Amino acid sequence: MNHATRAAKFVGDADRTTWHDETLWFVRAKRDKAVYAVPEFQDLRELASQIKDHTLSKLDTYLEQFEEQAKRNGVHIHWAADAAEHNAIILDIIRQHNATRVVKSKSMLTEECHLNPHLLSNGIEVVDTDLGERIIQLRDEAPSHLVLPAIHLKKEDVGETFFKHLGTAKGEVDPQVLTEAARQHLRARFLAAEVAISGVNFAVAETGGVVVCTNEGNADLGVNLAHVHIAAMGIEKLIPRLSDLAVFTRLLARSATGQPVTTYTSHYTKPAAGKEMHIVIVDNGRTKQLGRPDFRASLKCIRCGACMNTCPVYRRSGGHSYDFTVPGPIGAILSPNIDMKKHSSLPFASTLCGSCSDVCPVKIDIHTQLYKWRQVLGEANEIPASKKWSMKLMGRLLTSPKAFGVGGKLARHGIKYLPYSLTHARHFNVWAVARELPTPPKQSFREWYQQQANTTA
Amino acid sequence: MSSSREKILAAARANKPDEKPLPIVPDFGGDDSTERFTQVLTSIGGQVVWIDGPEQLQPVLKQLYPESRLSASPLFPGTVPVDALTSTEVLADVDLAVLPGEMGVAENGCIWLPEANMLHRALPTITQHLVLVLDHRRIVATMHQAYAQLPSTGGYGAFVAGPSKTADIEQSLVIGAHGARSLVVLLY
Ligand code: SF4
Repeated sequence: MNHATRAAKFVGDADRTTWHDETLWFVRAKRDKAVYAVPEFQDLRELASQIKDHTLSKLDTYLEQFEEQAKRNGVHIHWAADAAEHNAIILDIIRQHNATRVVKSKSMLTEECHLNPHLLSNGIEVVDTDLGERIIQLRDEAPSHLVLPAIHLKKEDVGETFFKHLGTAKGEVDPQVLTEAARQHLRARFLAAEVAISGVNFAVAETGGVVVCTNEGNADLGVNLAHVHIAAMGIEKLIPRLSDLAVFTRLLARSATGQPVTTYTSHYTKPAAGKEMHIVIVDNGRTKQLGRPDFRASLKCIRCGACMNTCPVYRRSGGHSYDFTVPGPIGAILSPNIDMKKHSSLPFASTLCGSCSDVCPVKIDIHTQLYKWRQVLGEANEIPASKKWSMKLMGRLLTSPKAFGVGGKLARHGIKYLPYSLTHARHFNVWAVARELPTPPKQSFREWYQQQANTTA
Repeated sequence: MSSSREKILAAARANKPDEKPLPIVPDFGGDDSTERFTQVLTSIGGQVVWIDGPEQLQPVLKQLYPESRLSASPLFPGTVPVDALTSTEVLADVDLAVLPGEMGVAENGCIWLPEANMLHRALPTITQHLVLVLDHRRIVATMHQAYAQLPSTGGYGAFVAGPSKTADIEQSLVIGAHGARSLVVLLY
């Protein structure tokens, strides 16, 4: 199944599509307001981009520096080449403590590695504690957005889920009441947890510490009550200095949700007395992406979600249509790096309007990279033959003025005589599935232009 | 040493681009007024109350939290003594934590709370209500100035900006997710 087929399911419900589109646009508008309030916002984007470029250019050195500092702080460091190793390391730590109750705060990396099913199948109870994550965990779904994991759900859906799993009243849809129910339900889990797993927003090479940003405080509550803290960190999370955090914390929440900063920006540097802290440093394809000059800038991503909130395709097709941990424009760049065949349709799920690149706080050239992936996929024969041939034909047509002129004339006069069954043949012209063909103009642009030139001369 | 470590470091070394310079981050200046701080903190669900000085703390708290029964604080003898070894069961009952804030940031309303000011790392989030006491002269304009004043972040520390909140259900803002349900900053 490709992106278009999956998106077709989503757009089948027109009201929901419109609602999804408007909800995300509302977040984008909040982002704009927050951004315009900071006079130096564009300077900050440039600085963030340069800091990340610099870090990637010395990634090995910074990884070693980070490890050394963290160890000095009494933190255990583990290295995982891929998802399987990441999962094995975490299960091993949990087992060493004979623990079975684990709370987790939001981490896209553990999603990427499918940690939950691995732990569950090994008898470990793992509870996601971010409200949105908990909702989708109860529904057995994947997150559909980087920072708003349950953005595809309406309050009626959440009400139904909580009625089923948390015993709230049937038909309860008040977000306040539902959130309170989740608070009580999760508090019991926090108090009982032996191990807490968190993601990492930033890792500081200079201090060996990691920074986690949340609004709910679920990471802090989990980590500070449990005996063991395991932080899962992608190698691209590094920044060199503590002071660099000033740049990134000013950008992250404003770009993500339009807040001036997340409620909690927490710095975990050393384990509490008598407790343990582990950091699992994960590659899982990242060094490979580092070696692709055209695409390595995607490793600068700070997972703010701004590119999805603004993307006209994402807003109207929903996060699940991407079928990848990170959806939206940035997901469409990261996914073919992992599996070119499986995700070959994603770089085409873009209008290339460039809105994603405009909002990206670290200035990733997202739409250019999407364009470049299309070339790579074409060369690797990973795009459908119909698309490939029609593009080839179009290319030839567009490079020959003569052929273009003749083709235009044929189309203008021909369309009205062609039978509907041909112009709307499903397999031949997917564009026309939900559209009518336009009435052809009497004149081509070229003819019109000639005429103008003659009359004004 | 693990072979994955060597593998990852070797791949990073082999695949990294040519070295790019690390930029110097300027101090952008900005508004460090208490008015700005108050306005931003209020807009994100916090509340600012002026007091004359730390000695006024207890009468003000009585007024603000007449219902509070179990309080913990390093600033006055609370009803629950808390330290780094206090058990989860005891912590779970605290309804009011009153902690000294170290520094405020006007641009986003956050307050730096280092481990040394928390009694227990979990106290600021497990308590039902949080009060931070802050000297108004310790407010800076932006995060640049805040980090410039932090030589290190200690073992643990957090910038706290308002009460715990969520908007995960249809983007409706709900105050009081898992952490403290309210945040009052007592400025003096
Ligand atoms: S690519 Fe840029 S805009 Fe998109 S999530 Fe990453 S940092 Fe945010």
